[in-house]
Amino acid sequence: MFAVILLLLILPFAAAAVSLRAPDRVAGAVTAVTGVACFGLVLALVPAAAHRDLDYLSYLRIDAVSVVFLMATSFLYGAVAVYSIGYLAPSRRSRDPGFSRYSRRFYTGLNLFAWSMLAAPMMNNLALLWIAVEVTTVISALLVAIENTDGAAEAAWKYILIASAGLGLALLATIFTYYAGAQVLGQHYDLSFTPLLHAGARLPHTPVRLAFVLAVVGFGTKMGLFPVHTWLPDAHSEAPTPVSALLSGSLLAVSFYAILRYYQVAAAALGPAFPRDVLLVFGVASLLLAALYLLDQRDVKRMLAYSSVEHMGILAIGVSFGAPIALAGVLLHVLAHAAAKGNAFMGAGVLVHKFGSKRISGISGGLDLLPWSGPLFGIAILALCAMPPFGIFRSEFEIVQGGFSSARYATPAVLIVLVTLAFFGLTVAANRMLLVPARGRVAADLPRGEPSAWMVVPVVAGVAALLVLGVHPPAELTGLLSRAVHQLGAVT
Amino acid sequence: MSATAAVAAPSVYSGGSSVIALGVLLAEFGMFRQALLRDQVRLYAVQSGLISVLAILVAAVRHLPDLYVLAALSAALKVVIVPIVLRRLLRGIGRAGEDEPAAGWTEIAGSGSLSLANTVLLAIAVAAFGFFSVRALNIRSAVLPITALEISVSVVLVAFVLMIMRRDVASQAIGFLSLENGISLAALVVAAGLPLILEVAFLFDLLVAVVVFELLIRVHHGRAESLSTADLTSLRG
Amino acid sequence: MSAALPIPVIQFLQVATIGVAAPGVSGVIAKVEARLQGRRGPRVLQPYYDLAKLLHKEALAPEGASWVFLAAPVGAAACYLTVPLLIPVLTSFGLPLGYMGDILGGGLILALASFLVAIAASETGSPYAQLGASRAKTFSAITEPVVLFVIFVVALVTGTDLPYALAATVRSSASQIVRPAHLLAAAALFMVILAETGRIPVETHTGTNEFGMIEEARPFEHSGPYFALLKWGSWMKQLILYTILLNVFVAPWGLAATAQIGDVALAIVALVGKAVVLGIVVAVIDNSFAKLRLFKITEFVSAAFLLAVLGVFTLYLGGG
Repeated sequence: MFAVILLLLILPFAAAAVSLRAPDRVAGAVTAVTGVACFGLVLALVPAAAHRDLDYLSYLRIDAVSVVFLMATSFLYGAVAVYSIGYLAPSRRSRDPGFSRYSRRFYTGLNLFAWSMLAAPMMNNLALLWIAVEVTTVISALLVAIENTDGAAEAAWKYILIASAGLGLALLATIFTYYAGAQVLGQHYDLSFTPLLHAGARLPHTPVRLAFVLAVVGFGTKMGLFPVHTWLPDAHSEAPTPVSALLSGSLLAVSFYAILRYYQVAAAALGPAFPRDVLLVFGVASLLLAALYLLDQRDVKRMLAYSSVEHMGILAIGVSFGAPIALAGVLLHVLAHAAAKGNAFMGAGVLVHKFGSKRISGISGGLDLLPWSGPLFGIAILALCAMPPFGIFRSEFEIVQGGFSSARYATPAVLIVLVTLAFFGLTVAANRMLLVPARGRVAADLPRGEPSAWMVVPVVAGVAALLVLGVHPPAELTGLLSRAVHQLGAVT
Repeated sequence: MSATAAVAAPSVYSGGSSVIALGVLLAEFGMFRQALLRDQVRLYAVQSGLISVLAILVAAVRHLPDLYVLAALSAALKVVIVPIVLRRLLRGIGRAGEDEPAAGWTEIAGSGSLSLANTVLLAIAVAAFGFFSVRALNIRSAVLPITALEISVSVVLVAFVLMIMRRDVASQAIGFLSLENGISLAALVVAAGLPLILEVAFLFDLLVAVVVFELLIRVHHGRAESLSTADLTSLRG
Repeated sequence: MSAALPIPVIQFLQVATIGVAAPGVSGVIAKVEARLQGRRGPRVLQPYYDLAKLLHKEALAPEGASWVFLAAPVGAAACYLTVPLLIPVLTSFGLPLGYMGDILGGGLILALASFLVAIAASETGSPYAQLGASRAKTFSAITEPVVLFVIFVVALVTGTDLPYALAATVRSSASQIVRPAHLLAAAALFMVILAETGRIPVETHTGTNEFGMIEEARPFEHSGPYFALLKWGSWMKQLILYTILLNVFVAPWGLAATAQIGDVALAIVALVGKAVVLGIVVAVIDNSFAKLRLFKITEFVSAAFLLAVLGVFTLYLGGG
C-alpha cells in the first residue's frame, strides 16, 4: 500500500516534468497514461482503506473519507487527460505558432494541478492540508489564465484574489484550531489530525467555534458557497474545458474535504448541533442562489458552473442533516457529481468546439450534428438533474431520506423545490442546444460528425460510472462508504 | 470627580509589544493614504519589518529560540525579496513613452469610490468590530497580550477594506500581502509554538503566491495596457 | 533660599509664566525656522517689541462693527489667562483654583476664546476675516471628536478628568509611558495642536497665502492695542496647548513637588525649556512637510481621529 501511495504522489509530478520538455504528442500520451494509471492505483486502495486507516511517514494518512475524494479526483484526471488529446488536436492541426508553448504549459499545469489535488486528501496535518489547497489555487489560477483572452485574464485575477483572501481566512482558522489544541496538547504539537480528534471533547469551545466558522467561510470560498462563490462562474467558464471539468469536479470536492475535516474536529469538540447549523445556512443559501441563476443563463459553461454551486450547496445541506444515510449520500454525491460534471463539461466542450460559440443561443441541433456527443451531453445534463438511474439520483435520494429520518421536514422540502428549479433551468438550455433543429447559418455549414474520438471515450466511461453508481454500487465501495460515514461521526 | 475605575497599566513588555503591533495596524491604515504604488510597497516592507522585530522581541523575552529563525526568514522574504519582486514587476510595466522608461513604479494607484477620509472612517468602524469581537472571545495567550490579537484581526479586516476600495490590480495584490501580514501577526500571538517547519512552509507558500500574482498582473497589463480594474466588468450574471 | 511661597503667589506665577513666556516661545520658533532655512531670522525677543509697538498705535474699527468687535480681544485674552489656573503649569500638586474646572472645562474655555474671536471677525464684513472665521470654526468642529477621545483616554487611565492625575500616573512608572494608549493619545493631541496653532501641515504660519489661511485671517481687521491683545492671546494659546501636551502627557517631569521658592523657580525654567524644545520640533516639521490643501485637512484630522480611537480601544478592550 505504501508503494501505491508513493506512486500516486510521484507519477503526476513526473508527468509534469516530462511535459515541460517533451513535444506535445508525447506529453499528451504520458498524461493520459498517468491519469488512467492513477485511477487504477486509487481503485487498488479501496479495499485496504475500507478496513483500516493507512498512516505513513507521519505526514500521510489515508482513511475512508480520503479515498472517496481521491477517487473523484483520479477518475476525472484520467478522463480529462484522455479528453485533452482530442481537445488540443484542432489547435495542433491549425499549425498555430504559439501552440507548442501553449500545449507545454497546458500539460504541465494539468499534471501539477492533478498532483496537488491528489496530495491534499492524503495530508495528515491541518497545516499541510492548507498548504496543499493553496498550491491547488495557485496552479489552477495560472491554468484559468492560459487562454490569454480578456475574459480569461479577468476571471483569473478575480479567482486568485478572492480565493487567496478566503484561504487567508482559512489560515486564521488553522491558527485558532492550533490554539485550541495547544491548550490541551501542549504548545509544540503539530496539528496532526488524530490527536486533535482524540482530544476533541477537551478542546475549549470558543476558539473551535470561531475556527469552524472561519474554515467554512475560508474553504467555502474555494468550494463555491454563497456568498463567496462569485469567482466561480467566471473562472469555470473562461478556463479551457478540461481544466473546467477538473475545477468543478475535483477542486470543489477537495475544498469540501477540508471543510469536512474541520467539521470532524468541531463536532468532536462542540457537539454536532452548531457545525450542522452553520453548514445548513450556507448550503441553503448556495442552493437558492444557484437555482435562481440557472433560470437565466446565456453561456453554457457558466450554466454548468452555477450547477456546481448548486451541488455544493446540496453537499453542505446533506452534512447538516447528520443522519448516517445522509452522510453516505453526501459521499456518493461527491463521486457521482465528479463523473456527471466532468461529462457535462466535456460534452459542452465538444459542442463549443463544433459550433464555435459558448453562447447557448449559438448552439442548436446538437443531436443531429453530433451523433455521440449530443446524446451523451443530454444524458449528462439529465444526470446532473438527478434523473434515475444515474448516481446523483441515488445520492440525492439518500440525502433527502436522511433529512426526513432526522425529523427535519422543511429543509428537504426546500431542497426538492430548488433542485426542481435547477432542473428547469438546465433542461430548457439543453433543449435549446440539442433538440431544436439547427437553424440559420449554423445548419448549412457544419458537417455531421464527431470532431475527435478522444473526446467521446471519456464521456462514455463517465456515463458508465454513473450507471454503476446509480444502479448497483459495488460491495467494496459500499463498505468504504459505510466506514467513512462511521468516521464522520454520524449521530442523529 | 468621577467614579470610573482606572485601568491598570500593563507590564513594560506588554506595553512595548502592543505598541509595535499597533505600528502594524497604523501601517495598514497608512496604505490608504499612499497614492504611489512605490510607497505602498515600501510601507508593506515596513509593516513586515515591524512583525519581524516583534518576533525577535517575543523570542528574547519568552525564550522561544525557533522564533529567531522565523524572524530572520520572514524578514528576508517579506522585507527584502517580495518588495524586490514587486519593484521588478512594476518597473517593467506601465506606460512607456518614447524616451522614458516604463513608469509603473511611480504609477498612481487607482482611487476608490469613497474619499480617503470616509474610507478611513469606514476602516475605523471595521477595526472596531475586530477589536470588540476578539475581546468577546476571551482568549488568553501566554506569549503576547491579547491586544496584539485584537490588532491582528483588525489588520485582516482593514486589509479587506483596502482590497475592496482599490481600483487597480497592483494595489489589490499589496492589500492581499498585508492581509497575510495580519495573519502572521495572529500566528505570533496564539500559535508561537507551531513547529518551525510549518511556519517556513507558510512562508514559501507566500513566495509562490507572490510569483503567481506577478504573472497574472503581467497578463492583465498585457491585455488591458493599464493596471486599472475599471474595465473588468465583462463577466456578469 | 528655601522659603515656601504662599499658594496664591504660585497661582499668580502660573498665569504670569504663561503670559510672559508666550511671545518668547513664539520668537524662538520663528528664529529656529529661519535658521533651518538658511536665513538669519528675526530676534528671539521680536514679539515683545512687536507688542510694545502695537500698543502705541491707533485702533480703528470698521463701520458697522459693534462693541463686540472691541470687547472680543479683551474677552479672549481673559480666557487665555484663566486656563493656566486649571492645568499643571508649575506644580505637580493640585492648586485650589485648579479644581474650578477639569480638562473638559479647560477645553471649553479655550473654545470660548476662539468663538469670541470668530464672532468679532464675522462682524466686520471683511471677506478675509469671515473666510478665516468660518474655516476655523469648521475645522475645530471636526477636531473636537479627537479631543474628546483623548479626554476619554485620560479618564480611562486615571479614573478622573483631572490633568494633574494623569501627570502623576505617567510619572509613576515606565510601564505607564510605554503603554500604547498613552502614546496614541499624545500623538493624537500633538496633531490637534498642530491644527489649532495653525502650523504645517494645516496652515503656514509665516506666509500670507489667502487661499490657505485659517487662523491667521481672523485678526485682519483689528488694529492697535486690540491687535496686540489678539496676537498675545494666540501666542498664549500656543503655549497653553504645549503645556498641556508636555506637562500632562509627554514629559511631566520638572514640576515643583513642594511650594519652595527654589522648586518653583526650577519649574518655571523647566517649563520654558520644554516648550522651547517642542517649538524646535514644530519648526522642524514646518520645514519638512508641505501644507495640505484645504480639502485634504480632513485626511489629516481623520488620521488624528484614528490614533485617538485606537487609544481608547486598546485601553478599553485590551488593558493597554
